[in-house]
Amino acid sequence: MKTNLYFRRVAVIGAGLTLFRRRMLETPQELAWEAVRKALDEAGLELKDIDCVVIGSAPDAFDGVHMKGEYLAHGSGGVRKMVSRVFVGGATGVMVPNTAWYHVASGLCEKVLAVAEEKMSPARPHPQSVFRYIWDPITEKPLNPNLIWIFAMEMHRYMYVNKITKEDIALVSVKNKKNALNNPYAQAAANITVDDVLKSEVLVWPVQLLDTSPVSDGAAAMVIVSEDVARRYTDTPVWIEGVGWTLDNTEWTGRELAYPRYLEHAARMAYKMAGIERPNKEIDVIEPYDPFDYKELHHIEGLMIARRGEAPKLLKEGVFDIDGDIPSSPSGGLLGVGNPIAAAGLMKTISIYWQLKGTAGRMQVKKPVHTGLAQAWGDLMQASTVIVMRN
Amino acid sequence: MSWDKIGIEDKLLSWHEIMEAEEYVYTVGVAGEEFFNGLKHKKIIGGKCPKCGRIYVPARLYCEECFVKNDFVEVTTKPYIDTYTVVYKDDEGNKLEKPQVIALIRFEATHGGLLAYVEGEVNIGKEVEILEYKIPLIVRVK
Repeated sequence: MKTNLYFRRVAVIGAGLTLFRRRMLETPQELAWEAVRKALDEAGLELKDIDCVVIGSAPDAFDGVHMKGEYLAHGSGGVRKMVSRVFVGGATGVMVPNTAWYHVASGLCEKVLAVAEEKMSPARPHPQSVFRYIWDPITEKPLNPNLIWIFAMEMHRYMYVNKITKEDIALVSVKNKKNALNNPYAQAAANITVDDVLKSEVLVWPVQLLDTSPVSDGAAAMVIVSEDVARRYTDTPVWIEGVGWTLDNTEWTGRELAYPRYLEHAARMAYKMAGIERPNKEIDVIEPYDPFDYKELHHIEGLMIARRGEAPKLLKEGVFDIDGDIPSSPSGGLLGVGNPIAAAGLMKTISIYWQLKGTAGRMQVKKPVHTGLAQAWGDLMQASTVIVMRN
Repeated sequence: MSWDKIGIEDKLLSWHEIMEAEEYVYTVGVAGEEFFNGLKHKKIIGGKCPKCGRIYVPARLYCEECFVKNDFVEVTTKPYIDTYTVVYKDDEGNKLEKPQVIALIRFEATHGGLLAYVEGEVNIGKEVEILEYKIPLIVRVK
């Protein structure tokens, strides 16, 4: 069942990434330029061909530069072009291609650059400290919380409701860091065991060091075009078939934390558009957002790829391995590749694009793939963005 | 590629600022490093686009029009005052002992410019001599 909305078909024809590393030598603008240059080269286009630029970055405060859309404009190729910037916290990375999609789908633009950049290193002592003012100033701020706190509470609730152990969850970190060994851009690739995760430093119980993704700098870019252009420039376009996004209530204390209902809404929107009725049967490869290992499982359930509480069981059975039925985070995800917030979400979208194009190199999953999905999540555990692509 | 050096030598390559986080340490970048190393040797380094020939001052890694990587070149053309202003109060509203002249210095046949403290009879279009190669530049009207 497809929606009866009228829109133009939209394709991806090029993508580029920088290395994901802590304390990159490049400025944010230089990182953006490097990713865009690679994306243009893969697409076979020049900057003069581009109509419009969509820039994504999570809060300005990470790079320590205010109005980052404007700041990044010349590095992203936006000088004297239509430029817009989107930011929904961690969900930004997939909101960027979604936004580029509606620029093209609406008929407004033919060729759009979707660019995401984040430098997490400049803020000291830690990028966490830029979150000081996101809390309720009266009921939460006095406790001086940070984000790992509330993710720890979410993780604990998820474990309690679904009777999941730390060992079950640690397997995600083991899988993703191992997948990242195949990714030339990765920062935190490693062969680790469940034991290593359980023995790593406890940050905010139950979150331990190897349950989390590292601090990273990096940029990602995609060239997103109309059908006519795609047919002219490539024989292997990858189509954006469904997009979805939602924002839940900022009052996170009022929500059931064991299940990401906001993600279910976003996924339903994307599935309806793409005509997907049984996501676990129809989707071949997924890149769910995994800044923490439990989040990948949480999101797989929110995406309705697994029933509530069943993702850990399927993980243990190998369903989400790189040679499994539904490979999950074959790129290595944020746990393995790194987490420059907005760029990380776009990296996931690019990973699916390369999988569907068949150019993922050593990251390429074993089985043939036709439908893929990338997802990102952010703000105060309340925003989700989903993109479904087909080749 | 990544960078993690703390010491006296990198003073010119990073600077500190305070915002919501306790502090930020900014990287000057690939082109910035060329530019600041140039200042140490009393040189103005620009980035020259191999495609359109435009020269960016200060040095830029890429041409924003052609989107290709720039070459780094020494800028030797004449520096002149593009515009200037006179500041009477500091950023907290206190009256300065002596008004401060700040000028935008451009270099002939290049794109961009640098801010400078100016000595001498300031006027738009006047050629200047660079007395100190730092940020901001200190220049004297010729």
